[in-house]
Amino acid sequence: MMRQSFLSCTLVVLTAIAAHAQTRPDFSGAWGPYRGGRGADPKLAAVPAAAPVLKEPYAKPYADRRAAAAAATQRGEPVATNGTLCVPYGFPTMMSVASYPVEFIQTPKQITIVTEAFSEVRRIFMDKPQMKIDDVPPGYYGRSVGKWEGDTLVVDTVGIKPAVQYQTIPHSDQMRITERIRLVAPNILHDQITIEDPVVLEKPITYTLAYSRMADYEMVEFVCDNNREYIDANGLVRMRIGGGK
Amino acid sequence: MLGRARFCFAAAIVAVGLLGGAHALLAHHSFAMFDTAKNVSLSGTVTSFEWTNPHAYIEMDVPEARGGVKHWSVEMGSPSILQQSGWKFRDLKAGDKITVTLSPLRNGDPGGLLIQATLPDGRVLGNGPGRGPAAPTPPAK
Repeated sequence: MMRQSFLSCTLVVLTAIAAHAQTRPDFSGAWGPYRGGRGADPKLAAVPAAAPVLKEPYAKPYADRRAAAAAATQRGEPVATNGTLCVPYGFPTMMSVASYPVEFIQTPKQITIVTEAFSEVRRIFMDKPQMKIDDVPPGYYGRSVGKWEGDTLVVDTVGIKPAVQYQTIPHSDQMRITERIRLVAPNILHDQITIEDPVVLEKPITYTLAYSRMADYEMVEFVCDNNREYIDANGLVRMRIGGGK
Repeated sequence: MLGRARFCFAAAIVAVGLLGGAHALLAHHSFAMFDTAKNVSLSGTVTSFEWTNPHAYIEMDVPEARGGVKHWSVEMGSPSILQQSGWKFRDLKAGDKITVTLSPLRNGDPGGLLIQATLPDGRVLGNGPGRGPAAPTPPAK
C-alpha cells in the first residue's frame, strides 16, 4: 500500500516536472525578420518604437544631431557612423539588422545569440543573478541574465557602453534593457525590447521585433576585412575605388 | 500569360523594394553617397569578384566611347544578403564579360551600387531586397 502510494506520488511529481519543462519552448535555430505581408495576422507583426522622449539636457542636442544627419543624407553626404569603420552594432541594435538572420543556441544554463551581420555574440546566463550596474564593465553587449516566466524568456541587460546607441539615442550608465522573448506561433518569435534610462529618457522606449524560423538555414560568416568606406578630410563618407582582396 | 503574371510579380517586388526595402539592403552604411534616382548601365570585363564583407564587389574594366578603358568598382550587398538573391561565390571570375546596372556615386568617381548584373550565361541576378530580381532569372534562350 505504502509502496503503491510512493510510486503514484513519484509519477505525479515526474508528470509535473515534465509539464513544467514543456512550458519552456526551444528557440534554437536561425531566425530571419518576419515581414508578414498581405493578409497576415497583425498580431504577429513587429511593433516599432514610438518617437523617443528625452530629458534635457539630452533632448535638444539629440534633435539637432538628427536634423543635421538627415540634412547631410539629403545632400548625399552621409555622416560617418560606427558602421563606416566596421565597428559592430552592439545590443540592442544587433537584434535587427536589415534582413540578416540571428541564431539562438539554447541550453539550460546559457542561451547564446549569434547574429549574422558582424558575427556578434550575446550570452544570456540562466543560472546567475544580475550584477550591480556599477560592477559591469561597459561593453557592446553588456551583461545579460535570463529567467523563464512560463513560456516567456525574460532577459535583463545592463552595462552597455555610451558609444553603443540604439538609433543614435544617448544613454547613461543607468540604462537597463528588458526583453520578453516568446513564440507567438510555432515558427514566429517575438522579442519585446524595453529600454529604460532614468537619466536620459522621459519614458521607456519599447518595440517588438518579429522573426520567422529559417529551418535548416546555415549561418554565414561575416568578417569585415574589405571595408571600402572611409572618412575624408571633410568628415564625409567616401568609397574607395579599386579592388585588392 | 504566365510570363505576364511573372513580370507583374517581379514588378511588384521591385516596387515594394523601392518603397520600403531600400534600407534593408545595406546594413552598415547609408545609401546617400549613391544616386539611387539614376541608373547607369555598363558592359565590360570582370577583373575580380570579391566575395567579402561588409560588401562584395565586382571590379571591372569598361571600354570608353573614345577609346581606352575606365576601371569601375561595383558595390554589392554582403555575401549573406547576396545569397538571398541567388548569388554564389563562383558566379563571376576575371575575364567574364558582363553587363551591370548600378546607382552611381554622387561625387562622380567610377563606382556605384549594383542594381542587377547580367552574367555571361544570361542569368540576371539582383542585389538583395528591392534591388533587381529577387531570384536569378534563367539564361535567355
